[in-house]
Amino acid sequence: MAGRRVLITGVGSYLGTELARRLERDSEIEYVAGLDTRPPRAKLERTEFLEADLRNPVITKLLPQAEVDTVVHNQIVRRPGPGMSPQAMHDINVIGSLQLLGACERSPSVRAIVIRGSAGIYGSEPQAPQFFTEEMARFYPLRTRFQRDVGEIENYFETYSRRHPQVTCMMLRYQPAIGPATDSQVTRYLGLPVVPTYLGFDPRLQFIHVQDGLEALVASIKNPLRGAVNVAAPGTIGLTKMIRLAGKSSIPIASPLFPSVATLGRRAGVFSSLSPDFRRLLRYGRAVDTRRLVEEVGFRPRFDAVAAVEDYVRTQSSKRVVPSFRDLVPVR
Amino acid sequence: MSVRPDEPSVGHQPPPSWAPPRTPPSGEAALFPVGAALGFLRRLREGVEAGTDPVSAVAGAIGGLPADAQEGLERAMRRAAGDYSEDEWGFDEEFADAIFPLLEFMYERWWRVQVEGTVNVPSHGPALMVANHAGIVPWDAIMMGTAVLKEHPLPRYPRFLVLNWAFTLPYISLTLRKVGGVVASPYNAIRLLERGELVGVFPEGVKGAGKDFKDRYRLERFGRGGFVEIALRARSPIVPVAVVGSEEIHPKIGESSLLARATGAPYFPITPTFPLLGPLGLVPLPSKWRIEFCEPISTEEYGPEAAEDRGLVFELSEQVREVIQEKLYENLVKRGRAFA
Repeated sequence: MAGRRVLITGVGSYLGTELARRLERDSEIEYVAGLDTRPPRAKLERTEFLEADLRNPVITKLLPQAEVDTVVHNQIVRRPGPGMSPQAMHDINVIGSLQLLGACERSPSVRAIVIRGSAGIYGSEPQAPQFFTEEMARFYPLRTRFQRDVGEIENYFETYSRRHPQVTCMMLRYQPAIGPATDSQVTRYLGLPVVPTYLGFDPRLQFIHVQDGLEALVASIKNPLRGAVNVAAPGTIGLTKMIRLAGKSSIPIASPLFPSVATLGRRAGVFSSLSPDFRRLLRYGRAVDTRRLVEEVGFRPRFDAVAAVEDYVRTQSSKRVVPSFRDLVPVR
Repeated sequence: MSVRPDEPSVGHQPPPSWAPPRTPPSGEAALFPVGAALGFLRRLREGVEAGTDPVSAVAGAIGGLPADAQEGLERAMRRAAGDYSEDEWGFDEEFADAIFPLLEFMYERWWRVQVEGTVNVPSHGPALMVANHAGIVPWDAIMMGTAVLKEHPLPRYPRFLVLNWAFTLPYISLTLRKVGGVVASPYNAIRLLERGELVGVFPEGVKGAGKDFKDRYRLERFGRGGFVEIALRARSPIVPVAVVGSEEIHPKIGESSLLARATGAPYFPITPTFPLLGPLGLVPLPSKWRIEFCEPISTEEYGPEAAEDRGLVFELSEQVREVIQEKLYENLVKRGRAFA
């Protein structure tokens, strides 16, 4: 088989750059292109950097020229970064994905599209099955803006998949990422001086270690499947356990007061990470079934949910000023 | 028991001050020993006054406590540091063990539960326990679990499908999941059975829980027979269970749709004591209980495809319902008066 030609969108993100680096070292991959408005985070050896905005129709010209066989869509924004409005986030997510699919339509060489989507589409529901399988995406109404964005992307992608049976369309539904050197909602949350929780709720959470998240993408590029696949670490971890492992103190807030406290906190510049999705996660949690990832894609994450949190905590302990309770008490 | 085997015999001499106080006889063992607590505080103060740092002072003071209190404190500190394990369903065995004495008290003293046929519960592999249901708090589920843990030759923790609404409530939701409750969804039940767990289910559902006192022990319709489909798909035996006593602990004499709407509850019961006495009205009445685990009904021979067969599903569902109803009447006679 001739070498694979891969294009990565959002190459300027941490995961995008790492993925490009990982693919460069792979002998099966002949060519790597990276698309973004931001330059890659690190120096890349043989990745061709295409500076373009996904929202700009120019990519319908750029993409066919690259003659790639696999497109990895890694530019779905999970939370607005500094100086990014919710509107811009919506544009990048929905309009960007739509443009990209349009560009793929013009590129006859494309054989597979892998989207790094979100398990947020399942929502966080108190009455939901304890493990979401891939068929359960439409069980509950899409409640937040981000959920609706992801829902829209999935709808477009499904339509595209039906119209282009020769292209393998794979939707990866990622649980939130955690790990050293990761900037995600979870790590921001755990980075707060005091973490707010819902009084009387201790939801089951599930993450994916960044390293595993990257390897899952590589495995999907090598073995693309049709349809949706959940990407998450095996097992779950309770919120309280996570906070205690991180050595944080929590401040429980009664549910009716939580939104106003979050708004106040955001105004004061403390709780920038508490998006509506994340708030629901803190209350009801979410876990997904990963049998498809393990059995069909053939990828088994190295870190389970607890180990992923522990790995994150290990790298954080050196940054602490005040020793945590955990450091003081000898734990067997 | 907390008396250490290596403790030297002290005969008639008064025990030295460092010796752990002897634990009172079993009935009061669950109570926290006041003397030990005072001793702990005294040693803690001495430690702090001697100028040691707080953590070593606490550690030093723990050293003088009786063995079980010492263990308990160590466990509490370990848990505070996040060092405890929950399975992927959120079941926390250590937590379940810790509250077991309370359940044991309810089981032995409060309801004086008599059990028959625990051997009918398979000691390993999947099994679906199906029982009659009553009450606001699922005490029947809790007592069934306690019965299996106490009386079964090979005890195991059962999981229960719990009314969904409970998982929207603070504290109740987290306690339920820690002791093995899961959302009443067929996906959860099948997944648990596939893992070889013992699962309890109440097919009467809300209709059963909201039964009027005058209708006690008259089984409601068993839904659409979803529990049979689950058992067929997972190829798990069905163990019918008759619980007598549970339908008298909260005698429901009416309900308020206004309060139900205000609280978001599926129904709002009115009993002679609730909501009249407030939270105190939630204390269950001490009726006498009997629990009978009936002979398992095998589903192996039908195969998982049989779950699509409506006729068979209804037939099996009706069969289970009849067994439970019959055993309910039988055990009602055996028990006699509820509040004798």
